[in-house]
This record gives sequence, C-alpha cells and structure tokens, in this order.
Amino acid sequence: MIHQSVKQIIGAIIGLGVAIGLCVFVYLMTNNKIVFGYDIGYQPTQPIPFSHKVHAGKLGINCKYCHTTAEISRHATVPPLNVCMNCHIQVRSYEGKPNPWIDKVVQSYNSKTPIKWVRVHMLPDFVKFNHAPHILAGKQCQDCHGPVQEMDVMKQWAPLSMGWCVNCHRKPENHAPTTCGTCHL
Amino acid sequence: MIPEENSKNRPKYWLSLDQWRQDPEFMKFAETEFMSSPLRESDTGEGGWARREFLKLMGASMALASFGCIRRPAQLIVPYVQRPPEVIEGIPDFYASTFVDGSETYGIVVRCREGRPIHVTGNALHPINANGMSARAQAHVLSLYDPGRLNGPVKNLQNEKKTNHDTISVDWTAADKDITEQLKNGGVAILTSSLVSPSLDHLVGEFAQSTGAEVFVWDALENGAYADAQAASYGKAVVPRLVVDKARYILAVNNDFLGTWLQPTEQQRGFASNRKPGADMSKLVVFESIMTLTGANADQRYRIRATDSATVLMRIAHELLVNKKVSRYAGDAEVLKVVKGYAGQSAGIADAVYSKVADALWQNKGRSLILGGECMASQIAANLLNSVLENDGVTIDYSRSPNNGFKGRDGMLSKLIEKLNSGVVKTVIIHGVNPIYSAPAAMGFADALRKAKLAIYTGDRVDETGWYCDYVLPDHHPMESWSDAEGQKGVYSVQQPTIRPLYNTRGFGDSLLTWMKAIKPNNSLAHFDSYYAMVRSNIEKEYRADWVKTLQDGVINTVEAERGRSDSPRKFNAGSLKQAEFNATPQADFELVFYPTIGLRDGSMANVTWLQEFPDPVTKICWDNYLTISPRMSEEKKLQEGQVVVLQVGSEKLEVPIHIQPGQHDNVLGLAVGYGRSRVGEVGANVGVNAFPLVPVTNGRRQFAGVPAMFTATQSQQELPNVQGYYLMTGKSSEGANMGDSQIVVEATLAQWQSNPATGIEQQSDLSSWTPHEYKGHKWGMAVDLNLCTGCSACVIACQSENNISVVGKSYVLKRRMMHWIRIDRYFTGNASEPDSLHIPVMCQHCDNAPCETVCPVAATVHDDEGLNEMIYNRCVGTRYCSNNCPYKVRRFNWFNWGRMQPDLVASPMQMQLNPEVTVRERGVMEKCSLCTQRIKYGKMQAKLQGREVRDGEIQTACQASCPTNAIVFGDVNDPNSKVSQLLKDQRYYSLLVDLNTRPAVKYASKIRNTDKLKTSEEFYEGGHV
Repeated sequence: MIHQSVKQIIGAIIGLGVAIGLCVFVYLMTNNKIVFGYDIGYQPTQPIPFSHKVHAGKLGINCKYCHTTAEISRHATVPPLNVCMNCHIQVRSYEGKPNPWIDKVVQSYNSKTPIKWVRVHMLPDFVKFNHAPHILAGKQCQDCHGPVQEMDVMKQWAPLSMGWCVNCHRKPENHAPTTCGTCHL
Repeated sequence: MIPEENSKNRPKYWLSLDQWRQDPEFMKFAETEFMSSPLRESDTGEGGWARREFLKLMGASMALASFGCIRRPAQLIVPYVQRPPEVIEGIPDFYASTFVDGSETYGIVVRCREGRPIHVTGNALHPINANGMSARAQAHVLSLYDPGRLNGPVKNLQNEKKTNHDTISVDWTAADKDITEQLKNGGVAILTSSLVSPSLDHLVGEFAQSTGAEVFVWDALENGAYADAQAASYGKAVVPRLVVDKARYILAVNNDFLGTWLQPTEQQRGFASNRKPGADMSKLVVFESIMTLTGANADQRYRIRATDSATVLMRIAHELLVNKKVSRYAGDAEVLKVVKGYAGQSAGIADAVYSKVADALWQNKGRSLILGGECMASQIAANLLNSVLENDGVTIDYSRSPNNGFKGRDGMLSKLIEKLNSGVVKTVIIHGVNPIYSAPAAMGFADALRKAKLAIYTGDRVDETGWYCDYVLPDHHPMESWSDAEGQKGVYSVQQPTIRPLYNTRGFGDSLLTWMKAIKPNNSLAHFDSYYAMVRSNIEKEYRADWVKTLQDGVINTVEAERGRSDSPRKFNAGSLKQAEFNATPQADFELVFYPTIGLRDGSMANVTWLQEFPDPVTKICWDNYLTISPRMSEEKKLQEGQVVVLQVGSEKLEVPIHIQPGQHDNVLGLAVGYGRSRVGEVGANVGVNAFPLVPVTNGRRQFAGVPAMFTATQSQQELPNVQGYYLMTGKSSEGANMGDSQIVVEATLAQWQSNPATGIEQQSDLSSWTPHEYKGHKWGMAVDLNLCTGCSACVIACQSENNISVVGKSYVLKRRMMHWIRIDRYFTGNASEPDSLHIPVMCQHCDNAPCETVCPVAATVHDDEGLNEMIYNRCVGTRYCSNNCPYKVRRFNWFNWGRMQPDLVASPMQMQLNPEVTVRERGVMEKCSLCTQRIKYGKMQAKLQGREVRDGEIQTACQASCPTNAIVFGDVNDPNSKVSQLLKDQRYYSLLVDLNTRPAVKYASKIRNTDKLKTSEEFYEGGHV
C-alpha cells in the first residue's frame, strides 16, 4: 500500500513538474525569453555581396540616402541602380583595386538589367508592416535591423516575431497602437 | 403553388417568391447558415485529395513540420534600374482618365501601385459622372488583365468560302503590307460603334476621305429611335441629355434610364439630387412591362404591355389636350386629330390613373421629364408630351450639352451587308462592334462578311467576329492607350495610359495612321507620327488647354456655365405623329422584351469574372440569363422556377430556363442580351444563351420590345444561381411565420414622413447588459440613405476590386458560397403581381455589441478602439461560429483557396489586379467587410505624416467612393462636425434588427416613397391600381 502511494506521489510530482515546466516554457516562449524558429541570423547569398559595413559604417552614408522612401512609404525600398550610380559613376575601385562587384553594378545599369536581391526580412502576407510611422516615432533603423553598419552582408538581427513587435508597441512611452488591426488587415 | 390563405402570416417585406409563399424548403434554409455537403476539393480537380483525407494527412505532417523549422522559399527583391520619379513603392499613383462604355462616358481616376492599375474611382471634376461609377466601369480594370486577351496580331488562314480555319501569329509589318495592298484596290468600308472620341472620329473621317472608304456606324444595343424621333419631331437628329436634377416629376414608360439607358450614372445622380424628403421631393412614375431598376425605384409603378408604350403616353396627352384643354398644343388641330384617337384606350390601366398623372404633370410643367420606350412611336409621343409640358430645353437638353453617343443606325448595317453581298465592298475594317455575335440572325451579317476579300478586326481577342475575319489586330486596352472622349458636347475628357501595353498590341488610331501613310503619304494627317500626337494637338490647338493641367484634371469642361441654363423650346412638328407607326404593333399573347443587364450590357466584357458573378440588381441572379415571366402566368402555364422552355421567335428557337419575376406584366416575357458568348474566353463562354440573333428587324429597325413570341415547356430543370434569400436576416422572431418582421427595411410615404419623420422606426433602447466600449479618439460609422440607394450595385464591384474578393463560380454560388462583402438585398412589398421594391446595401454592421466577437473561441474577431469589428485572418481557425451568430449574415467563409482552385476563373495575369494593402485570404478563413480599414489606416498615416488631424471626407470606403448617388457616407461619429454625425441627427436613421441590441455602427435612413399609400401583401394577385 505504502509502495503504491509513494508511486502515486512520485507520479504526481513528475506530473506537476511537467505541468509547471510546460507553463514556464510557454511563458518564456510567449515573452520572447526563448526564441527559435524565427530565422535570426538569416544571411542569404546575395548576387552582389553588398557591404553595409563599408557604405554605412566606414563611409558613413546615411541609411536614408539609399533607402529613400522609409519616411513616407510602407517600404524602405532597396535602391534602384540609378542611386548606386550616383557614386559609382565615378567610384570604380575599392581600396585602390578594381572591384568585380562594382563592375557588375555598372554593367547591370548600362544593360538595364535589374539586380535580383534576395529578401532578408520576410513577414507573412497577413502582416502589413509600415516603415513610415516607425521612423516618424523616432525609431532608429538599428532598433530593428541591428548594427547594420557592422554587417558585411546583410542578415536578420531581430526575430521579427509578433511577440517581439508587440513588446515594443506595449511600452507606454511608445504610444503605439496594439489592436490586432494595426498590422493584420 | 401560392396559397391564398395565411396572408396574415406573410412578411410585409419579402425577398423572394419562396419566402412570400412560406415555402417549407425555403424556411428550412432560412435556419441553416451553411449548405453542408460532403464536398471534396477533388470534385473540382485540386490534386485529387478528398478534403477530409487532406486534413488527416496535414494533421500528421504539421506535427512533424513544426520541429523541422523549414524556411519559406526565398523571395526576390527586384528594384528598378532607373526609378521613374513618380513611382514610390508602397504609395499609390493616381491618373485621371476616361472610360467609354457604349453610350456612357465616365471620367475616372485610376489607382496604380508599382505601375499596375488596381482600382478605379470616379473623377469628381468630371461633370458627367462626378465621383459616381457603375459596376462595369469598376470592373473594366480586371478586363485589362483578362487572360483571354490576344497577345499579338493574328491571321486567320481560310479558304474562299471561309469554312476552314487556322490561326497563325503574324507581325505588324507583314500585316500592314498585306492590308495596304488590299486597301489600294478600293471598295473599303469601316464599321465602328458610335465613336465619342473627337480625335478618333476625325481620324476615321480623314481615313475614309483619303482611301475612299465608306464609314458605317452601328451599336449593339441602340436602334437609333431616340435620335430619329428627335429628327422627326424637331427637325434635327440629336441625342438630348436628360437633365434629371431639374425634374420634379418623371414619367418613364418602358425606359430604364436609371439602369442601362443613355447615361445611367449621371441620370442616377440627377435623380438622387431631388430625393431629399420634403415638399420639393421629386416623384417617379413608371409604366413598364418587365421589372427594371427604374421600376424598382418608382414611387408608383404600373404594368403595361411592351407594345403599349406609345398608347400610354398618347392617352396622357389626350387627358391634357382634350380633357383638360391645357397648353398651347390644345388648339393645334393636327395634333388633336391624332391624340383624339386615343380617347378610350387604356392599356389596361384605370382611367383615374391617367387623369391623376396628367394633373400632376400639368402642375409640374416645365420641371417634369417624359421618357419613351425603344420604338419611334413612343419616343415621338414622349416628345409631344415634353413639348406640351414645356420641358423641352429645360429637362431635355438638346443644344447646350447633348450626348454624343447613339450615332449607330440599323440602316447603316443593312447597307453594309448589301454592299458586301453585291461585292461593292471588298475590304471591311471592323472596330468596336462584334456584329457576328450581336446582330440579328435575320440581317445575315455572317454570310455577307464571308464575301469580303479582306476583313480586318481590331477586337482584343479572336471572338465571334474575329473568327470570320482575316486579320485580328488587337487594339490596346483603354488603360494602355491615349485617346479622348466628348461624351457630351463641350465636355472633353482625356484618356491616358496607366500601364505600358501588356502585349504586342497597337491602337486602332495608330493602325489607321500607318495605313493612311502607306496609301497616301501626303494625307492631311501625315504630320502626326502617332495617334497620341493627334490627341495632344487636339487639346492644345482646339481647346487651347495646357497639356499637363488637362492630364491632371482629366477633363476640360467648356460648357460648365451653360449646362445649368435652359433653352427655348423647339417647335414640335405635328406631322411626326402621323409618321410613327402608332397602333400598328400587333398585340400577341406573349410579347418578348430583349433587355441589356446592368452587369453585362452588350456582352463585351463577358470574360470578366466580376461581372459574371454580379447579381443582377433586379432579379439577383448571376452566371446565367433566363426568360422572365410573371408569377400569374407561371401558375397558369404550370411552370417552375428554372424549368427550361423552348422559346420561339419567328423561326428562331432557343432553350432557356424560366425565372418568375414579380412585377412583370402577365403577357410579357423578358430575355437578357449580352449572354451566350461563344468565343470570349474561359470565363464567359457559353454562360447563358445568346438572345441577339432572335431580335427581329421591323421597318429597318431592330425591335427590342413587344416581339411576338411563343414557348413550349420541357421537362428539364436548370438551377438558377439566385443569391437573394441566401443570406437571410431574421432577427429575434425567426421562428414560425413571423419571420422577417424585424426592423430591416423601413418605409414611409411622404405624408407620413411629414407628420412624423421617424415613422415606422423602432429606436434603440438604452438598456444593455454589456459595458459599452469607450472610444476616445475616432469612432468610425456609416450612414446609408435608402432613399438615395437605387440598387445599382456599383459598390459591390468597387468592394470586390478594393478588397481582393474571390470569385467562386456558378457551381459554388449555387452552394451559397458567394464571397461579396457587400450585398444589395432587394425586398418586395405588396402582392406578387404588382409589388414595390426596395434595395438595401448590407455590409458588416460593425456592432458595438457584436454577436460574432463573443463566440469566437480564438479571439480572431475583436473590437478595436475606433469602433471597428476586426477580422484577423491569421488567427482564424474556421469554426464559423461567428457567421452562425451574425444576425446580418455578412460573414463569408473561404471554403477553398478559391484562386488556386479555379484556374479557369483566376488565371495569370489577373493576380496583377490584387490590392497589395489587403491580405489575400486562404482556405478555412472567415472574412467580411472591414469598412476598408486599409483606407482608414492610409488616411490616418497621411494625416500623421503631414502633422495634422484626419479631415472629414478624406477617408472614403470603396463603396462610398463609387456610389453615384452618395447614398453611403462614412466618417468619424465622434467628430460632431463630420458629415456622418450631421446626417445621423436626422430622425430617419435607424439600426437594422434593433431588437437584438447589437448597436451597429452602420445606420440606415428610411425609404420615403412619394405616394399616397404603401403597398401591403394582403392581396393575392390583383390590386395595386389607384
């Protein structure tokens, strides 16, 4: 009989442990303490290994010089080749050496073939993100995209999960809307 | 069968005859939300998996997949090489342009995203339609992406007799060479529809001159009686503009001026401007044979035979001139002689009615409007009455800004056929018409066309006419090309391209210029290197207007001041009364009326899915045409709804299903044209039957109404996709016979309104067990005025275009799976024979106490802090509880991935029309009207970026923006100065199904009928007369 009840108690403790563990796990998951499955660090191979480190970091070009529409549009937009050519009409070498990637940009521009970049930051179709209000609210690009000026090739820095978005929207100082329809429409 | 007893249980307002007769089958459906059937997707060919198996398999693989962390396939970003300065990704561009649809001209504003036209609204600066649109004008954006379009010029290889067929692609140079060779031989004819483009009209004229060609103009839907009657009565053929906004009393006799005739969008706007309840409210009296949208909006409606149009009008003239002896024509012996012949003729209407109508007309002289039917006789009679009543020059604008359409004549087509048969015409160029499809079989156009040496067709596909032509040289879509239009004299609007041509097409104007240059290098237009140059020079030289400003405005209105003025009346030529074929039309047992529908009109856009799935505003049937018959006659002939009959007109026979239409005259049959296209593309091919070949030609003119016809019943049955009754609002009293007694439509007579503006309205009680929501900022609301809503359903297509709403196809419409977010319910009141009708647009009501929100197990539908009931697609798991619990039945469920499942309905490049601001919904997800939340968001964003508050009227929902009568007003009800707040102070506004205490954000204003007594359903068939 005692043997049986010990078994029961052990069983109950294990069961309780599993239940509590599950609760903790769910809590951590939903509060972004554990993050997986959101492609943090996703860094696809690009047709040109464009370096933000060189352009934004070393040369200190303002983000909005290339991503011109971030302030007014939903998309920050990858710049059209004519923007690249503003500088690269002159700049044909890097650190004194001819650079095949710059040649590729010039070639593409001259032959009117657009460059097909691989998208890094992907949201599902049912999420309608808009850059403009975030810039308007004084957010820095780095707040969501991370230290871009240190990235040789662009990679995903933030989880871009709903929890990650909402955590920021929830902060009272941000005065951000939290209704579902803010993003899902 | 219709039971005569139980009339006290009959609902006062009914949706269909089934509901009227309390059909048990109907009652059963009223209580079940979904037509459940073990449907398999494999039935429609998606992969061959049964749905249940699919779910089972998916259940297992989902469990595995969630641990697999597989990234979605890589997406590419392809930026411009050279970004056009006006394009910003994510921000729409707007282009003012023009759309011409038969007799109707619209000023439009095309919204483009990333270079793709995705939505069309009206151009508020345009005097013809202003912001108003029609369903067709909205849908023409989808016709740009019609997969059935030809992607380059083709040649049909045929033998002498044109009996074999092989179509090959050709290039433009080869085609041009071949064509110019042949053109040089002379004997050229050009067949076009009425061209309202001054540049193209001029070009065709010059082309004809320099090549010796003859021009023939013919329209599919107009037989020319309107203009010819003007010529007979007043000496000059014009197509007067109807100044409906000046008319206080409108008498329409077999004339659907609010639905399909002349410029319905402008006419609806004019009509609505006088519908504000009050002493000045206009009155619309309609005598008609089939039920039209005009009849549905009538204050008083009488049924007459189709052949009695002239009789009714002449009888009224008799009342005025002989009995009352008023007006200067009362002394005109020549007029009196003819009018006196109508002394005893009643057309089945009580004498008192005529006397009353005549009295009212005389009281409103100078501000009434008389409209006749499609025959010369009734048009001349209408001219007489308009002259008698001194309307000529006031409500009939014959000189300041008359219409430019309706130039086609049946005589011209017969002449062309004659010349083709005799071999005088060797080469024929056909533009803008499809006569093989739309000309009567009796005219024999197909045989004549076969005799042409060379036939050139400029349609956008190898359609019925294209099939018989040697060359099909596709014209640009109007959204891809330059042109202009002068829909009404002095109202000049420009059509500009909004996208580069999708295919290897060439504008008709450019083709003509090329051929002209080859034949006669020194022609009068040789200095223009393109049709665009012609259009531009026309604007800059003829109108002396600034090119950029014209493109911005889209319209040059040179008659702005004059349009509002009146002219002196013309002299009515009494001789015309004799000339017309009065009394000549024999009255048959059944008189057939051929009518165009609001959705398909002449059938030219039959391959546009939106228009095929567009419920007809009157019958509420889509995806088919049918023979309409009165309820009494169906009873007498023992015909069921959908029973197929063999219709015989002359020697032509046609098998067509029956639709029992309340309000139709017992001796009249109605059949819609525009259906039954054989070569139009996957969507429109063989939908319904083609009625055009049956149209007889009498006295050289097509006769669309009053055609003697017979029919014999067959045993076969065809189900008609009638969407009315699919979505039943029932309210609390859904049990038993009182169903439908809840507050849905509220109606009052003008006198009742004058004594109590809130007649018939049950107000919201303040009691509620729910804590009310708090709205600190905006609170969005909507006001819908039933007095202004004509039921034209432009909003349905506007909504579909804006919100990426799927088309489901005929088989699924029959299974009640339509996806439209806004539906126009058509209610009847009165007996089945002579009912009155009302239209009510129903969209999501965005209730404060929303029944859907409380039952969703996953909180996928929630209330936001601005009063919107949000639908979160990614959270929805598809329990459909919300839809079950919605008393307004406005929620739509995605049973399948409609787009992927129906390759014939959604084919590339149609996806280019999709609005990127709105999620495309997947299978298993509920959806509904969002009050265009994406537009609200956009408006708020723009205001924020400019550092200001949202202005009232800045944010418009798609339905509101398209409404020709401004019946829908959206805005912030928390702002006391907003238009919607001001409107809602009117006591006419009420909530649907108020007894449920849902507190909707959408409010309706009751319908005020300018009549003595509202109809009730106590009577059986008869009654209704004064």
